[in-house]
Amino acid sequence: MSVESVDPDDVDAADILGSAIERREDPALLTGDAEYTDDIQLPGMTHMAVKRSQHAHAKIEGVDTSAAEAMDDVIAVFTAEDVDVPGNLPVGWLLDSLRQVDHPMLAGERVRYQGDATAIVIAEERYAAHDAVDAIDVEYDRLDAATSPNEALNGAPDLHEDAPGNTAFEWEIGDAERTAEAFEEASHTASVDLENQLLIPNAMEPRGAVADYNPSTEELEVAMTTQNPHLHRLLMSGVIDHPEHKLQIRAPDVGGGFGSKIHHYADEALAAWAAKQVERPVKWIATRSETYLTDAQGRGHESHGEIAMDDDGNIVGLQVETEANLGAYLSTFAPAVPTYLYGTLLSGQYDIPAIHCEVTGAFTNVPPVDAYRGAGRPEASYLVERLIHLGAKEMEMDPVEFRRQNFVPDDAFPYQTQVAVVYDSGEYEKTLDRALEMVDYDSFRERQERAREEGKYLGIGFSAYIEACGLAPSELAGQLGAQAGLWESSLVRFHPSGTVTAFCGTSGHGQGHDTTYAQIVANELGIDYEDVDVVEGDTDEIPHGMGTYGSRSAAVGGSSLVKSSQKVVEKAKSIAAHQLEATEDDIEFENGEFHISGAPDRSLHIKEVAQQAYLAHDMPAETEPGLEATSFYDPDNFVFPFGMHAAVVEVNPDTGEIEFEQYVAVDDVGNQINPKIVEGQIHGGVAQGIGQALYEAAEYDENGQLLTGSMQDYAVPKAEHIPEMETDSTVTPSPHNPLGVKGVGEAGTIAAPQAVVNAVVDALEPFDVDHIDMPLKDEKVWRAMRENGGGA
Amino acid sequence: MEFDGTFTIEDVSTEEVWLALSDPVLIKQSLPGCQFLTRVEDPDDVDFDALGEADAEDDPPTLPEADPEDISERAFVEGGHYAALMQLGVGSVKPSFRTVITIDEREFPSMNASGEGSASDSSFEMSSGMTLVDTDEGVDIEWEAEADVFGKVAQMGQRVINPVANRVVNRFFGSVEDRLTEVAEEDDSEGLRDRVRNLL
Repeated sequence: MSVESVDPDDVDAADILGSAIERREDPALLTGDAEYTDDIQLPGMTHMAVKRSQHAHAKIEGVDTSAAEAMDDVIAVFTAEDVDVPGNLPVGWLLDSLRQVDHPMLAGERVRYQGDATAIVIAEERYAAHDAVDAIDVEYDRLDAATSPNEALNGAPDLHEDAPGNTAFEWEIGDAERTAEAFEEASHTASVDLENQLLIPNAMEPRGAVADYNPSTEELEVAMTTQNPHLHRLLMSGVIDHPEHKLQIRAPDVGGGFGSKIHHYADEALAAWAAKQVERPVKWIATRSETYLTDAQGRGHESHGEIAMDDDGNIVGLQVETEANLGAYLSTFAPAVPTYLYGTLLSGQYDIPAIHCEVTGAFTNVPPVDAYRGAGRPEASYLVERLIHLGAKEMEMDPVEFRRQNFVPDDAFPYQTQVAVVYDSGEYEKTLDRALEMVDYDSFRERQERAREEGKYLGIGFSAYIEACGLAPSELAGQLGAQAGLWESSLVRFHPSGTVTAFCGTSGHGQGHDTTYAQIVANELGIDYEDVDVVEGDTDEIPHGMGTYGSRSAAVGGSSLVKSSQKVVEKAKSIAAHQLEATEDDIEFENGEFHISGAPDRSLHIKEVAQQAYLAHDMPAETEPGLEATSFYDPDNFVFPFGMHAAVVEVNPDTGEIEFEQYVAVDDVGNQINPKIVEGQIHGGVAQGIGQALYEAAEYDENGQLLTGSMQDYAVPKAEHIPEMETDSTVTPSPHNPLGVKGVGEAGTIAAPQAVVNAVVDALEPFDVDHIDMPLKDEKVWRAMRENGGGA
Repeated sequence: MEFDGTFTIEDVSTEEVWLALSDPVLIKQSLPGCQFLTRVEDPDDVDFDALGEADAEDDPPTLPEADPEDISERAFVEGGHYAALMQLGVGSVKPSFRTVITIDEREFPSMNASGEGSASDSSFEMSSGMTLVDTDEGVDIEWEAEADVFGKVAQMGQRVINPVANRVVNRFFGSVEDRLTEVAEEDDSEGLRDRVRNLL
């Protein structure tokens, strides 16, 4: 079932969309020709290093920079006192009850997490900058720290004066009264208390920035690791008080982000501000230790969930209470993640008539928590699928039949959930049935029974996940609190010789947009794939853009490219009609050729039209020369990919070790632009999901010190830890965009954790284990098996 | 983090161990990575650079050569503050901690001390206690410590702090034991014992 990639030369132009062609960006990435931020060298460039708080919570009594300033090669040292601009990092998503708090780019009075920035050094050399940072003496008065939301909300010292009790917000969705009634009338209920642990994103390339200021033109160019250059330009222009039109943000090749490069951090703003102060280029590249301390983390939920059923096993209600960790400050999109990206997905794939969810956001002494691959949706899907597992157990039903009985039926789409969103399309039984076939479920239970008799513990876990992708309809996003529209912009430009450059406001950082976007544009224009070049990630080149996150690039950016391409074709058609001496209505466009209906001999290729458009010797009246078009595409709904993942594991009863026997992923992400890239996204996503299920957790001691602050301590799974995945897909196109795509960037990460945990809990059924919190380390599993008197 | 343990030294008396562990010079020499250990008046105003230079002079003799009365004179004092520069390799980092220790309680055969140390990117806070117990074979030193570490050491080294702590403690008591063994081997050890006893 593995997808074979093909050489684009072997694909007919008409078949380019949907072909598994090789990624055109890979040779540069693999040979070192790619240009990452740290590869940039500018004449006279200086280096910035950041003094970071060693305490998770402390008052700053004094900062002595004299020793650092006296060091060779040090150009300048800046502290909060030197900041002459607003310097306050803004939050881009508001909630009614949100308590906004100051987030200065340099802390002056108080530090609130280990790694909070207190000073910066600008030096001639990178090592000199780091040595000088070590010479800065910060005097602290240490305060008690709280790292879990529950601790923070229950008596820990306040982090911010404006947020008493450390409550950042209180939010709810669904119908409390109806849900309470449903639970009263229900004949069966099941519940779980669980933690969705804090994770550290671990992009391969650390964050960084190179800022170059020209005092005579006042132009400030910032090359940086970003997933959304235009958004960073807007936010940074306010933070460092620099006019937006004189600020250029450029994303060179970016080595992964997983969400962590969406947010506007202090460091990049400091590098840009410092470049203006010293009037020389400034480079800042995070060390790996700094990424562990300061990259926004993900997840961090403590939840109580309950599910209610009637006598026949129909789900009648679901209720959830969640305390969400927001970290020390509000990161860029932090308030959206545990609310609208979470609560709205709590219906899962199921027709649930009553749902209610309450979320309390908490300030804690950990780095800001924000979007991380999946962002809210993994937390929702994990909770729903754990409750489904427990609900089936309560009903003494097979978990597959329990799911099947409660699925939103095929004929119910578009389906209005009880938590605001409307699912676009879905055929949930299709992915379920395919997955069952792949794991041979018919014989599994018998095999499991036999294995148990031999003292071997096999388990199967299912994950019927759903996600909302394609952020987002701007009007809806605005109603929900977004401080930005979430449309996408593109420009498709023919050059006189007939080749094309396509600009898009998304900003890929490993996803393969150069390939997939060229496939889309070549298909729309009917020209060779090789004749299309794709440009992303530069505010000076691209009309505008909202960036890449939330699996939005294909659905929103790709659709924008379709729209721009269609505008180009429309204009080309009018020129072709003029030159062919026909009316536009009589012109047909097919495979790049304009011809008169019924007279295929009289035709003009769109490349010839492009040339004519630039020669402009013979144009229709009122038509401007040139051939290009810009679009701002705003979707009318989210898209809702779905699928069924299933894990088969064996748990060693003596050691608690978990071994995978099989991992099956059947995903429906709508139409696929490039099935090889889709498969790669699923593989990477599942690997990260399994990382969460079995290995990863950001852990802190009671003082808020990060205990997992390096790759030796934080277990990112290696190849040997990841099972071979069997992938397959079904295709249910989304009706909401011209490509019929649904988004795949986060699917695997959302789906995998609950497949693994459900499998382990299923294996441990004889031991009467209902739940084990992730990560499922051997010792935890071993202890769970012994908790209830040893079970079997 | 909490640590504790018991270290046994054979063929010595509690008084001798007490005297040895009361001697700042012997402690300095026995503590791995300790560059100086000096009594200071104001714990909030310590000039570590000056103390480092002053320490360049030769140490006075310790047990067994030293006169117990000299040791008694320079011995730790309840309520006294002591400054030390301690270099510790923990994991991939090797910071030098400017450390100030306060003797909170000192009453034969128990001593409690607390302190804090700071380096450029790390710091620690600790409290510790020790009691000497007379046994048939010699003396058991029962010790306990509670420490919090912050910054780079916490981030890079928590995984290895336990082995590092064990190494430091073992080398420290090992060194003390070596000195006391020398004391036991001295011909006039009985005389020393008596003199130590008299001091107490």
